[in-house]
Amino acid sequence: MSDDMRILPPTGDTFMGVSRDTIDWCPIIDNDKCNDCMECLKFCPHKVFDVNENSTPKLFVKNPKNCVVFCRACSKTCGPEAITFPNKPETIKKIKKTRKELPPNESN
Amino acid sequence: MSQIKSKKYAILTCNGLDKSAGCVAREIALEIAEQTGSEIICPVLYNVAYARYKKTAEENPLLVIDGCQTRCASKLAVGKGLKVAKKITVTEYAKINGIELCESLRLDASALELSKTLANEALKEETAKAGEGTFAFPENIEYSAYKKDKFIFKTPTEGFLFNENDCWAYVVGNIARVGVADYVQHSLLDIIFFTPPTVGTEIEQFGELGQVESGKAIFEVVSPVSGKIIRVNDELVNIPELINQSPYEKGWIAEIELSDFEEDKEFLLDYEGYFKVLKRKVDEYHVK
Repeated sequence: MSDDMRILPPTGDTFMGVSRDTIDWCPIIDNDKCNDCMECLKFCPHKVFDVNENSTPKLFVKNPKNCVVFCRACSKTCGPEAITFPNKPETIKKIKKTRKELPPNESN
Repeated sequence: MSQIKSKKYAILTCNGLDKSAGCVAREIALEIAEQTGSEIICPVLYNVAYARYKKTAEENPLLVIDGCQTRCASKLAVGKGLKVAKKITVTEYAKINGIELCESLRLDASALELSKTLANEALKEETAKAGEGTFAFPENIEYSAYKKDKFIFKTPTEGFLFNENDCWAYVVGNIARVGVADYVQHSLLDIIFFTPPTVGTEIEQFGELGQVESGKAIFEVVSPVSGKIIRVNDELVNIPELINQSPYEKGWIAEIELSDFEEDKEFLLDYEGYFKVLKRKVDEYHVK
């Protein structure tokens, strides 16, 4: 990765003590709006997006769990506004609930 | 048209030939130029004939108008080393206010109305300055340093709490001062613009507390605590680079009256916890 690509935190296996696998947070591409400009793909250092030459649009979300929880920076590079994210307050609620259900020694 | 007494800008605008948001951006530029006698910088000509606008850009505060999130005008400003005094993004404003932009490149009545509204909003003098706070922030902060190549990541060793989105809180009584970690400013590089959160609004933990923007990206500040925003660091509006220079001190973002700090704390890291997270992030960055 070049210096130029250094942006925003890489994700770990957990977020705030909760397993990343249990958190539903990644970009959602509106295929009708996406124009394959690839600005998001170039931007995201966590390899969340990839390209499938045989589909339209070519862009797709390949590694949803690589996405940094609560980061929406890729959507801010998107000219046609084709990228959205899950509802943030609901996601926060769910993470807090999951965290509370964990036995105390597994919460960190 | 008679000119109203308002600030004169150098306006660097999206040219907007192939998108309606761009056409609205151009219309806003015309409106503001007419009202204030501001000068418009043509981005196309500016790109090839820098000297043509050198004087205009140096002698006036710069107003950047972007049509969409591609932010061509902002990126051009960064590329030319200009300091942004004010900024408008048409699609963002439209989205926040539930306005549907027309498809056509020729502006209809509602798009013209939107252009006028946005121009007037931009010209409104900034009022509602928050009063001086009395927050007891420490004068001498001790930092630890984590070095990687040419970068040094500083972290305060006492009294600060962090979330995993690289935002910090320093709590005194029932008020938290919050900001972004050194890691954020290293990642963004030169910060050119700060969009403050609204004073008086309630925010949830992990809610969006304004945005910090560089030529490279826009970072949403993720609030480490929940409560009511009682003060914003106004200095950042004019000097956003304070976040680069002093992310834990002069570059603080806002102060929040805490509503449920006991619960918030469950989701925050102390210095030891955050330092581990920071090291992992920094090390993973440099993986080729």
